[in-house]
Amino acid sequence: MTESLSTRPDVGLALRSLLRADATVQLRSRVSTILSLALPLVILIATSFGKAGQRLGGADLVIGLALTLGLLTSCLLGYSFTLAHDRDAGVLQRLRVTPAPTWTIMTSRISVQFVTNLVASIVVVIVGAILHGLSLDAAQYALTIGVAALGAAVFLAIGQALVGLVPSTGAVTAIGRILFIVLVLLGIFGGTGLLGDTLKTIAQWSPVGALMTLFSSVVAGAAWSDQDTIGLLACAAYIVVFTFIGIRWFRWDSR
Amino acid sequence: MSDSAEPQGTVVLKVSGLTVVYGPQTAVAGVSLEIVRGEIFGLLGPNGAGKTSTLAAIEGLIAPRSGTVTVDGLDLRRHPAQARSRLGVQLQSSSFQPELSIEQIAALYGGLYGVRLSREQIRRSLEEIGLDQERGKRFKQLSGGQQQRLALYIATIHDPLLLLLDEPTSGLDPQSRRALWSRIELLRGRGSSILLTTHSMEEAQAVCDRVAIIDHGALLTTGTPTDLIAAHRDDPRVLAVAHGDVTLEDVFIGLTGSMIRD
Repeated sequence: MTESLSTRPDVGLALRSLLRADATVQLRSRVSTILSLALPLVILIATSFGKAGQRLGGADLVIGLALTLGLLTSCLLGYSFTLAHDRDAGVLQRLRVTPAPTWTIMTSRISVQFVTNLVASIVVVIVGAILHGLSLDAAQYALTIGVAALGAAVFLAIGQALVGLVPSTGAVTAIGRILFIVLVLLGIFGGTGLLGDTLKTIAQWSPVGALMTLFSSVVAGAAWSDQDTIGLLACAAYIVVFTFIGIRWFRWDSR
Repeated sequence: MSDSAEPQGTVVLKVSGLTVVYGPQTAVAGVSLEIVRGEIFGLLGPNGAGKTSTLAAIEGLIAPRSGTVTVDGLDLRRHPAQARSRLGVQLQSSSFQPELSIEQIAALYGGLYGVRLSREQIRRSLEEIGLDQERGKRFKQLSGGQQQRLALYIATIHDPLLLLLDEPTSGLDPQSRRALWSRIELLRGRGSSILLTTHSMEEAQAVCDRVAIIDHGALLTTGTPTDLIAAHRDDPRVLAVAHGDVTLEDVFIGLTGSMIRD
């Protein structure tokens, strides 16, 4: 036995080791990169031809949509599936029998995913601005990245809660996909008013609707509105509620 | 329980009245045992007897309904990090992040146990276990024997006081099994204690200083293999299954029954 083992192992060293390993995993995972960037870039490119962007409500809305869907796809279909798969394969159990506190294991994974989302969002905003001919100033870029951070937190919290509550990887996959479709339909189509006023109101408070509102406001450089306040409050509430669920009821073992 | 062969020396693991419950089912029912420094202790039992649940509770993976686990005098529930830092664990099916090379896996787990390892130190360690040439490979690219060697290396990366091995020889060929036992003996020689589960009675008889037979969550008997055979050689249940000289396997089957468990 080494002398250092008479005390608690270095939490900082454990966290750095986890961050390095999780960052390596993230870089090597092509699925993660594709999910973070492919869908938003396809949206941006597809709407850059002719008047497609205008028909969808303008460049600010299109960029907001691309950013929101990128974050949703990456967190709900990427992060949660990977976490559920690692749990099923016993990777999390193997990590849990080490002296590293469990919060370091989750913090590392969430942090790496969060940074990935921010980097992807920066790329999407820059590409979106170029393709749609927008000229954004530094403050708009900063605000957009701030909203992207908020969005990443919302969808990571939802993904964490999903994996926390649902033990089976297959069920996480199925529910994640259904949730993805419901959130997208509600946020995009509900917000237009096509499905009635009640759904329009619900859509404003839904994660996708709230984020799209915030994104389009900051990209357009619009003045702060009541709808932005609703979006911000909704996002904060989602983060608090789903983070609590994801931590309180997280299951480390799928059996 | 046999009273013979009480352990001598410093107690590194003390399990008292351990009870583990899954819903309505009691997996471990009041198990108590002690392991001393440098001892190899085998926990034997049929499938579903409670071996893995007992180990999982000692590892801190599941919270027991009642009972205590102390490692080197540290209560696992009150000082989980300190207690775990003294444990080396090889789970029944070890799995590491599939995207990492084995060199990166070693660096990760070194860090998690508070051991800073240079690339050269990792290379030398991998060389010792015959995996130097594989250090850039992923875990899934290794053969069963290589995976097992890596899992054991990771479990002992911090020179643990107590090594917990859940069916370590399962699925290994004779050469790999022999190499594993040599490594376990080496670790014992360095002062580690080993608690392992196995289905191989021959191995348990040959390698373990003491064994305990567990069934339906309760310890049926504990002692050295020789003492257990001596204590149960006249038991009618054992005699009914013995062919010639009574072996540890005869004692095991006599006490736990011949019925096949799933």
